[in-house]
Amino acid sequence: MNRAFLIARQEFIKYVTRRGFALSILMFPLWIVIVTLVPQWTGGGDETRTHVFTVVDRTGGGFANAIYCAAQRQGAQRWLDGAEHYAATLADPARLPRQGIGAMLASPAPATRRCGPEPDYAAIEAALRQAKKPGAPDFAPVDEGGLFAFIAPPAYLSGAAPAKFPVAVRRALATEHAPGAPLDTVFVIPSDFGKAKDAVAESWTDGRLDLDLRRLVEAALVKALQFKAIRQAAPQLSDPTILDATARVQGHDPERGAARDGAVDSIVPIALAIILFVVSVMNSSVLLQGVVEEKSTRMIEVLLSCATPREITSGKLIGVIAVALLTLAIWGLALLALMAIASRDIVHLVFASLSATATPEVLPLLLVFFLCGLLIYGSLFLAIGSMANSLADAQSLLGPSMLILMLPNLMIAGVMRDPNGPLASTLSWVPIYTPFFMMLRLSSHPPVWQLWGTTALAILTTALLIVWTGRVFAKHVLTTERPPALGVLLRGLLRRG
Amino acid sequence: MTDSVVELSHVSKRFGDFTAVDDLSFALARGSILGFLGPNGAGKTTTLRMMLGIMPPDSGTIRVLGRDISQVRERIGYLPEERGLYKRMRADAAIAYIATLKGMRRGPALARARALLKDFGLGDFAQVRIEGLSKGMAQKVQVLAAVAHDPEFVILDEPFSGLDPVNQTELEAFIRNLAAAGKTILFSTHTMQHAERLCDRLIVLAKGRKLFEGTPEEASGLLPRRARLAADADLGFLAAVPGVARVTPSANGERQWTVDLQEGADGRALLAACFEHGVALTHFDLAPPSLHDVFVSLVGQTP
Repeated sequence: MNRAFLIARQEFIKYVTRRGFALSILMFPLWIVIVTLVPQWTGGGDETRTHVFTVVDRTGGGFANAIYCAAQRQGAQRWLDGAEHYAATLADPARLPRQGIGAMLASPAPATRRCGPEPDYAAIEAALRQAKKPGAPDFAPVDEGGLFAFIAPPAYLSGAAPAKFPVAVRRALATEHAPGAPLDTVFVIPSDFGKAKDAVAESWTDGRLDLDLRRLVEAALVKALQFKAIRQAAPQLSDPTILDATARVQGHDPERGAARDGAVDSIVPIALAIILFVVSVMNSSVLLQGVVEEKSTRMIEVLLSCATPREITSGKLIGVIAVALLTLAIWGLALLALMAIASRDIVHLVFASLSATATPEVLPLLLVFFLCGLLIYGSLFLAIGSMANSLADAQSLLGPSMLILMLPNLMIAGVMRDPNGPLASTLSWVPIYTPFFMMLRLSSHPPVWQLWGTTALAILTTALLIVWTGRVFAKHVLTTERPPALGVLLRGLLRRG
Repeated sequence: MTDSVVELSHVSKRFGDFTAVDDLSFALARGSILGFLGPNGAGKTTTLRMMLGIMPPDSGTIRVLGRDISQVRERIGYLPEERGLYKRMRADAAIAYIATLKGMRRGPALARARALLKDFGLGDFAQVRIEGLSKGMAQKVQVLAAVAHDPEFVILDEPFSGLDPVNQTELEAFIRNLAAAGKTILFSTHTMQHAERLCDRLIVLAKGRKLFEGTPEEASGLLPRRARLAADADLGFLAAVPGVARVTPSANGERQWTVDLQEGADGRALLAACFEHGVALTHFDLAPPSLHDVFVSLVGQTP
């Protein structure tokens, strides 16, 4: 076994001293930065980008006002969420007003505005400034105007005849704007909206309709219609904000007997599953290339004169695992650093997920599945490399294999929608996919029998693949024949000796 | 403990329908240099690989240093036919790596690698990557990697292939030194001059079968001795001399003759016959057949 570790050490050094390793180590965090920042630079994924909209209300104005107020209230809510988070994390509770920030939020200033009561922004800001912890940054409130800016429709638009309306919209989209942002959506409420069943509101955009904005408008219209119906039953009601109510449902975990946030708990397992795939494919490809190179330079012959095929394959797999773990550690630290720079909230979420994952029940299984996944992918690539006589040969074998191995990535969304449903359960029993899907499912507490069964399956699959890879390696690594057909290969594997 | 370093008994190896090694048996005495001769495809490399445990025989048994190969890997050194080292490794690390796989500890292995490189004039290149060395230097490094762990038995597969004459001479000296240090050496080649100069014993293989085993002298005895003569007169009369098997005039019309002697015949009888016929010879030489001639003759007879 000493020889296996010597080979592992050599493989590790060989891989980590390659320029490609340094590049791949840098590329992944860079890729994350690019994926995160590019949409922000282009405006596509920036949640703070303000969408400017107007409403042409052909019913007389009631619906436009409802939409305006919905946008206003949403902006106020964002402002209050920010204040609440600041109070919880960066303010000294003892120096907050005696009634606490929560009470201040709950007793807004008198209803002096068009949309009813609003928080007393100035008073809350002053309270937070006074309670700021030493060294904490000042409270930086978001614009209470929110993500959506409403502008009144220009006369040429609201008065446009139906035939000329598209021209008027084009003109408005090209010329109208709120401070700092151009108009991008025009909503039209038809005159029979709320009366005729088939009447629908329209949205006219420059091609960038924001789904959140549409949801906000739809919710505002529904609420307006509901209030209209309520007022018919109770004409004395005049304030539509009586319909404002929020309700939260807190998830609870029967295993822990405590509250849980499933989405947060699954961050680390999902990230590990995806990293498992990326790291496996990346390092196993290098492993494959290394074997093909050793075959072509006959270095493999020297190795075989020093060690058994099993020692060589074991050493190579251990080397790849060491490289993968190093990669994982560097990427993990880099991602945490990037997240810390980007947002403390994300770091908080990741640590919450880590604490949910690092339990005596989940952590060992997560590690077992991660290592089994690495070994399964590594063994498959090693077997392919030992059968190939050239990189071209390897590529032709690798193509179909990669399609099979990539399948789990296409199933992530389906599995995560129902982590213990039939799809997830079935895929978890496909041996080469077991580690990947079980890592995704671990935080969802799959049935115990599935947990033990799939763990045994993953370990058995890994052991069998390592043994079979040793056999394929011993049989094919010195031949210069074409790679065998699948049937021949399987018959050879199942025959002992 | 046996005196044979290697014992092969009725060893055969097939690849599909092709028989690479066919019922091969031989033994190699400790401290000797054995030349493994044969044309391309004779089964030399396959036999060496079986002796190293890289591939198992289909039938027959192989004992190396009195044991199964799996128990004595660390006591064997191996230089493959096509040189293979990690190109990005430093010369000293490459030698030390193989030595550690053969059981040496890393520190002493590295020290030994550097000492060997220095002895072979490559001391200044110890820290240079293999890809930065000339072909001759890289081959020397590979040879050193095969012996750095001080093996008892060294297998060299076509060690002279690709080397220039100067490096070939150096390698010959190196092999002699190894033998002088008590190592047993087996090397394969299809260049007869090296075998002629170095080997105590020879094995000639063709198409997987052993055609000859013995000393170089015994190999020479397989073919009749041959005399070459030149004179202004016709030497056809030599065919009647007792002990002469055949007289062949020069094919290019020059006045030269080749005379094949029967086994045990005395070449001096040719000189006596010329004297009796009053023929003045301008050239006479009588030499045992070269290994090259023996090899060509043996391999040429293989069906």
